[in-house]
Formats: sequence, structure tokens, C-alpha cells
Amino acid sequence: MANYVMVLDYKNCINCKACEIACKEENGVLLGADKHRIWVGSNNPKGEWPKLDIASAAFLPSQCQQCENAPCQDVCPTNATYYDENGVVQVDSDKCILCSYCMVACPYDARYVDDRTVTVDKCTFCSDTRLARGEVTTACQNTCPTKVRTFGDIDDPDSEVSELLRTREHFSLKSNLGTKPKLFYLT
Amino acid sequence: METVAKKSSTIKEFIRSIPINKIGVKDLLNFEKSPLNLFLAALTLVFLGLFVVGVLFYLLHGHHAYNVTREHPWGLLIAVYIFFVVSSTGLCIVGSLGDVFGFKDYMAISKRAIFGSIVTIVAGFVVIAFEIGHPITMMIYNVLTPGLTSAIWWMGTLYGLYLTFMIIEFVFLLKNDMKSAKTFGLIGLLVGLAAHSNLGGVFGFLNARTISNGVFYPTYFILTAFITGVFIAYIMMGFRYKLSFPKEIQTMLGGLAKIQALLISILIFFVTWKFLTDVYGGMPNRAEVAEHILGSWTFWAEVILAMLIPLTIILASKASAYKAIFFASLSGMVGIFFMRYNLVHDTQLKPLQEMKIREYQLPPEWIHYFPSATEIMISLGGLGLCLALYYVGTKLFSLDTEH
Repeated sequence: MANYVMVLDYKNCINCKACEIACKEENGVLLGADKHRIWVGSNNPKGEWPKLDIASAAFLPSQCQQCENAPCQDVCPTNATYYDENGVVQVDSDKCILCSYCMVACPYDARYVDDRTVTVDKCTFCSDTRLARGEVTTACQNTCPTKVRTFGDIDDPDSEVSELLRTREHFSLKSNLGTKPKLFYLT
Repeated sequence: METVAKKSSTIKEFIRSIPINKIGVKDLLNFEKSPLNLFLAALTLVFLGLFVVGVLFYLLHGHHAYNVTREHPWGLLIAVYIFFVVSSTGLCIVGSLGDVFGFKDYMAISKRAIFGSIVTIVAGFVVIAFEIGHPITMMIYNVLTPGLTSAIWWMGTLYGLYLTFMIIEFVFLLKNDMKSAKTFGLIGLLVGLAAHSNLGGVFGFLNARTISNGVFYPTYFILTAFITGVFIAYIMMGFRYKLSFPKEIQTMLGGLAKIQALLISILIFFVTWKFLTDVYGGMPNRAEVAEHILGSWTFWAEVILAMLIPLTIILASKASAYKAIFFASLSGMVGIFFMRYNLVHDTQLKPLQEMKIREYQLPPEWIHYFPSATEIMISLGGLGLCLALYYVGTKLFSLDTEH
């Protein structure tokens, strides 16, 4: 049993989108732009040439925040969304009724409909694939050329994620909502 | 063994004693062939036909037949479901005025309103069955692994109970057993109100959607349900008496119109303050959504059709122009439809993913949605079903209250 989190040194991101491809490949996510478990967000740079505001065009890789207090879990009428033994938010496709309430409630737009099971799907930190095989890295982390992501057990004080969170300043997305995300962005 | 047989014969006896008219297809076709009646009959059949076509498309293509997306997962069918269940709760409130609370003037509509509440909620359930991806799984796991923190679980479960109590109340009303009708009517009303406020809670609990989050919707739903109930009561009575109302019905309609004027005034007050607080201070994700809503024609359709027209007519006529109020009620129901559509759409207006995630696109500003033909066909089908069931009910049961 672990308490998995992900730490993102997002300023290293070069928007190559290799993580998106690796995720689709590893987890068999269907093709289609709106079928994605993870994504890289970007903004067009503000200002006019030559005084472009480069800082405004930062890339922000993201995915399901694996919230400790997940709104998607609270609103699920059949408990199809649940926390597994590693604290990862999962969907039991046998119980999902596709009412889509979790999609409306998720503050991060992290959920979509998987056309194969006709149920809601999301990032699982590669629980069914890499973690199930005994590996302790996620596909998106493994493929990243600039090592944006670090994945590990926050309950292990010797883990790399614990070390990073102890030594680097960080923030979470939409933390004002009280969702207690487990994705941490290093500043 | 003997006791079981005895019980079963008592139940059979009870069911047999419910006054139901024996009717055949001939009786169903036996109505006054006025142009309006023929038009309504044809319209109902067209709606039912569209329903069949819409369902076929849905069965072939699933949710791909709808214009719902990852960013806008709830579409027209959710709005129509809410429209029907709000109508049902409203009719239950109006029906309860007489048989639960004992206001004699409103007894005349009790049976009809309670029957209407059953018909409308059945139509709502039928429509939602084609929106929920796995309705059978829902029935199984709602019981096996209930999500007690989910407003949808409470709403669905309580509405199921509510329907049961409404049917029992209606049976006792038919049997003229007013004491039992009152008991089950009161339980049904309380369960219905709880269910309905939970439906508001479905939106009110959305912390991420600041425009809907909060106490407003759970309370507003009850208020607008009562308003909807009065609109439908007027429409039912208008058709029943072909707009020539007898004296005692006029007394009832006059009273309902006064109640309606008060309710609509409160609604206008509520909505005004909701928007003032939404816009005030320019709170991110709330103020700009509220301003966007204020600039949409569907919001003004709601305000004009469901609030201003009915209120003006009631006030101008001092609640006595029953015919005009009947037409205002028709306008009101169209407005109520927009109210439901706006509620669902506006909740999802603001994208939660505000960054650009694909190349060659701009960051999303607002989420656009327009229902697909299949969604429209199933929705109109729900209305057709409602009209057809109500018509059959008027033949099967004696819905007028004897004086």
C-alpha cells in the first residue's frame, strides 16, 4: 500500500506532447482529440512582437489530480468512483451508469467517456498497466524528455517525491475548492 | 398458507374495487372532433412517432446521437427531465391544497392534479432512461452500493418513493377514501419536496461551478415547482371546461391566480438578487458567467414568458381574467421550459479547462451547445407521452371531484 502522488516541474515542459502519446499507447486510450486522460495546456503569448510576454505562454501539463477529497467520488450515485488501496481515484466500469455527474463535478475536466465500455474513464496513474506489472513509474513520466514528472509514494520519507516536496516550493491547482489534489507543481 | 391466500384475495378485492372505466380503442377515438382536438390528437401522434425515431437513433448510436461533449456532458434531455419532474412536484403541491391541507376550494382539482403528477413523472423517467447510459445498472447498484453523498442518488431514490406514494394517494382518491388519501398525500408531498430540493442540490453541490453552487437552486426549485403546478392546473382546467368555467371552478382559479401572482413576484425578487450577487464584485468564474447569461435570448425568453406575461395579466385583471390567464399559463410553460434549459446549460457555460490543449485553436472561452435532432425528438416524445397518458387517464378514471 502506498500513497501515490505526482510532482511536476512544469517549467521544464516543452509541449512535445510525448506524455499524451505514451499515455494513449500504454493505457489503450482510444484515438480522438477529446479522448484523453492527460494533456498539456498552453496559452498564446500575450503582447506584440518583439515585446512578447514569454512568461504568459508557459506550458502546464495536467491530468486527474487524484484528489484526496474528490468531488467526482462524492457525487457518484453508485459508488462506481472509489479510492483504491493506493489512494488513487478509480472508476469501476461495471457500476458506472454514465449519468455524467462526475464529469460535471470534476473541477479539472479530467474525465471523458470511453466508447468501448460506454462508461467514464480517467487517469489511474497507470494502475491497470505499469503498476499492475510491478513497475513504479507512469507512462507519462517515463517518456518525458525533460523529466517534468516525478511519481512516487508520499508516505515514504525517502522517496524522490517526498524529497522534492520538502525542498522545493510548490502549489496545487484550484486548491481553494478543498479538493486536496495529489498533483504538485514546483515553482 | 391459508393466511397468504386470504391476504392475496384481499389485495385482489382491493384492486377490483378501484373505480376504473372499462374502455376500448373505440372509446379512445370517441372525442369531439373539433379542429383544436383533432390538431392536438395529430400533434400527440406526431410526437410519439418522433419519440420512436429518436429512440431508434439512440439505440443505434448511443450518446453519439446527442450533441453532448466532454465539456458539456448534460444536454437537452436532462433539462426535459427536470421540466417534467418539476411539473410533477408542482402538480403534487397544487393537488395537496385540497386533499391534504383541506382547502375546500381546491378540492376540484385534487384528483386531476395528482393524476397529472403521476403522468408527468412517468414521462420524466422515460426521458431520463435514454440519457442515463446504463439505466438497468443504475437500478441494481443504486441498491447494492448506494452513493449516499450523491444528490443524484437521493433525488432518484426519493422520486421513486414519491411516485409510489402518488399512485397510492390517487387510488384512495378514486375510491373516495379521503382519510387515507390525505395520509399518503402528505407523505408523498414531503418525499416529493425532499426529492425536488435534492434535484436542486445536484446543481447546488457543484463547488467547481460557482454560478450554480450554493443554496439557491434547492430552494428555487420548490418555488418554481409550485409556479409550474399552477400553470398546468390552469391548462388542465381550461381544456376540461373549454374555457367556460362554472362558478366553483372560477373561485378556485381566482384563488390560484392570486397565489401565482405572489409566487411569481417572489421568483422575480429571488432571481434579481441572484444576479445582483452574482455580478457584484466581479468574482471570477461567476460574474462573467452571469453577465453572459444576461446577454442570452433564452434567459429573456424565460423572464418574459414565465414571469412578466403571466404576472402582468394576473395583476391587470385582478386575478379574474381566467381565459387570459389560461393563455398566459401556456406562455408560462414555454418559459418554464427555457428556465430548465438555461439552468442546465448555464451551469456548464464556463469551461473548466481554460488553457489551449490542441494546436491550431484558441483557448476555449464559452462552451457552445445546441441539441441534436435525436435529443429534440426524444424530448418532444416525452411531451407526446405525457399528453397521451393524460388523455387515456381522462377516459379511464373519473377525474372530476363530485360535490
